[in-house]
Amino acid sequence: MTETGTILLWGLPADAPLAAVRDALQRMDCDVVLLDQRDVLDTEVELIVGSGVEGMLCVKGERIEFDAVSAVYPRPYDSRDLPVIAEAGHNSEAWQHALAVQDILNSWTEITPALVVNRPAAGEANGSKPYQSLSVESLGFYIPDTLITTDPEIALEFWRRHQRVIYKSLSGIRSIVSHLTDEHMPRFQDVASCPTQFQQYVPGIDYRVHLVGDEVFACRILSDADDYRYSKRVDMQACELPEEIDAQCRRLIASMNLLIAGIDLRCTPENEWFCFEVNPSPGFTYFQGMTGQPIADAIARLLASAPDHACIASLV
Amino acid sequence: MIVVVANRWDQVAQAFVSRWAAHNIRVLTSQDLSAVGWHQRLSSADQATAVVGKEVVPQKEIEAVVTRIPCVVAEELFDIVPGDRPYVATEMTAFLLFWLSSLKCLVVNRPTPTCLSGPYWRQENWARAAAAAGIPVEPVCRRSMFPSPGPQHVTSQTLTNVTVIGPRVFGDTDPVLHDQARRLADVAGVELLVVRFSNPERGARFVSADVYPDLSNDAIASAMLDCLQQGTQVHA
Repeated sequence: MTETGTILLWGLPADAPLAAVRDALQRMDCDVVLLDQRDVLDTEVELIVGSGVEGMLCVKGERIEFDAVSAVYPRPYDSRDLPVIAEAGHNSEAWQHALAVQDILNSWTEITPALVVNRPAAGEANGSKPYQSLSVESLGFYIPDTLITTDPEIALEFWRRHQRVIYKSLSGIRSIVSHLTDEHMPRFQDVASCPTQFQQYVPGIDYRVHLVGDEVFACRILSDADDYRYSKRVDMQACELPEEIDAQCRRLIASMNLLIAGIDLRCTPENEWFCFEVNPSPGFTYFQGMTGQPIADAIARLLASAPDHACIASLV
Repeated sequence: MIVVVANRWDQVAQAFVSRWAAHNIRVLTSQDLSAVGWHQRLSSADQATAVVGKEVVPQKEIEAVVTRIPCVVAEELFDIVPGDRPYVATEMTAFLLFWLSSLKCLVVNRPTPTCLSGPYWRQENWARAAAAAGIPVEPVCRRSMFPSPGPQHVTSQTLTNVTVIGPRVFGDTDPVLHDQARRLADVAGVELLVVRFSNPERGARFVSADVYPDLSNDAIASAMLDCLQQGTQVHA
């Protein structure tokens, strides 16, 4: 047994990253508890905040005091999507309880002195890609020439100038990144309904970088698709980043108050490093499976390092 | 130009703008985000344009902004196909976070990734910040279990508001509470704050706070205008 308190994992047991971290913690003989979201109707939660932060969780009669928790790895899904809550119906008592549990736990993970990987507010910057790009650019990465507009004529002019242009959502809602083609022309007037983001296509080789505390796991990705996440033919190789890029990645997640992150980079033939996105809740098991990099073990070590590891107990 | 970002039902924002129309104040709502004319580039604001009050304006003409919404909500997007409204609301919120963050002019309440009007703090977070600032705090207690043990007994309490607008503090209370509200605003890094205390006397306890001052109050609205006009003076 290591010298830590309870390590709390929160989410669904079938979530691959959560399961991988739980397995790693169990191999380390840590005191680990998985708060299974499916048990929400058997979950009682209490939070009291005054001069301190106190409270408890009770699941099926098993009680955990908040001050016994040394580290948290939260990966909750929207409680409203749980079958038991969806079946209970909108605004039912079960629905209200599920939302209350989620909100109280989110509130607690923002302010607890325990190590939280990552605190919810720190991950919110990923909810606006252009906003996140402002931070990315300020730390030395290149970002593609990007237009956000409600004017179809300006969008067409941007397309003509760059020849190869992609469009993607502004928010964190996952969307397939696609090239603009002539097939999009009939829908171009829809741009007027909502600001839409267009980006210059940047040729090069994709890199995915996972940062876990002080550890860096980079891999090179070879794919013909615009968005390799949706390609059936992907090849990945673990690699080392150039020293300067490695340092920039570390500065980037530190500036965002993140303890773990998955960063999407692309290196052009001119050796310019572009950064497209910083994911604060990376689904790292896909990359771990392809490269053999022990990312789950690193997250487990980070969680087990609490309370020695200085936590980022930001008020914001 | 001064811009007030609000939802389309915000009568207080409309009244604020009407009252000081001579100061070139306009309301920006989600309707403006569904209008041709926005032109934003990530790396340069030189040619940037915005749509405010259904009119395309060069961004460099915007001198000051205050935001009265935490996000764009699907319910106000009447002009969007119903099935697309939640997605469009999320996209518009993401856009406004970028736009408000990238403005070089005065933005009285800078957005955060959790709220377009500043920090989105739950009451637990405000209570913790108030306690850290040395303010006596009424503990915040929340509990949920299923099934609920029955209707909870809620004690109604008459609270005392203290409002911070930039350097000015309003509220008919002991001056100590003004100092405490000012201190909490500094800790939170905000220019606009409403703090509710248990009573107006010295020794009152902090109960709750938010970042939405009551602009229907003449004195507070006037202070807000002064605050926004600092932006126009810098611009001039």
